[in-house]
Amino acid sequence: MSNNILTQNDIQHVDYKDVDLLKQFVNPHGRIMGRKKSGLTAKQQRAVEAAIKRARFMGLLPFIQK
Amino acid sequence: MADDAVMEINETDTDAAVLRIYEVGYHITPSAKEEDLEKIVASIRSVIESAGGGPSSGGKASFIAEGAPSLTKLAYPIMVRVGDKSIEYDRGYFGWIKFESAIAVARSLEASLKQNQNIFRSIVFRTVREDTRAKMKAPQLREVKRTDTIHKAPRRVEESSAPISEEQLEKAIQDITAE
Repeated sequence: MSNNILTQNDIQHVDYKDVDLLKQFVNPHGRIMGRKKSGLTAKQQRAVEAAIKRARFMGLLPFIQK
Repeated sequence: MADDAVMEINETDTDAAVLRIYEVGYHITPSAKEEDLEKIVASIRSVIESAGGGPSSGGKASFIAEGAPSLTKLAYPIMVRVGDKSIEYDRGYFGWIKFESAIAVARSLEASLKQNQNIFRSIVFRTVREDTRAKMKAPQLREVKRTDTIHKAPRRVEESSAPISEEQLEKAIQDITAE
């Protein structure tokens, strides 16, 4: 039984506009969590990474947080 | 049957025939007026329509979903060079459109957005037809028991609101000074 946020909430697609969701997969410095920490499957982790990077490019998420 | 399958593959191989789902996200400069936002969005839509609607391209662009531009604070200041000057934006009107079109349309849209003076950042990428927004609610912040709030507890009732007589007062003073 996987116990990650995406499975728990039955989220199939990760959207870069869902900043509040994506913020749960970055640490206070703005870095993307590893799979060990996020608890995501490989497929989910790739989707989250892509979404976070899109959100960063569009200025919705920070690249680094001081 | 087998021939049909091959035909299909051949057809999808040509760029123009393939319709794909794309999403475009854009930031309109905050200096743009609220009334002009619609015009700017309409110009983006027209690029998609005009590029994809041609009969020669074989495909028709169609819109699936759209998010109206709303003023958003950026996570970091975005610098844009315009000629010699560089402008720093700390906010922008962020909007998005999901559409279905041929590959060439997405390419030309990307190029036209880069040329657009009103848009300082944009992204075009492939996505799926389904709604990708998460339907989960933002996680509720853990309820913290506050200790710094002042409860409206009944104050100590003022003792003996009745006026104190001179004698009582004098006696009390003497008691204090005697010690």
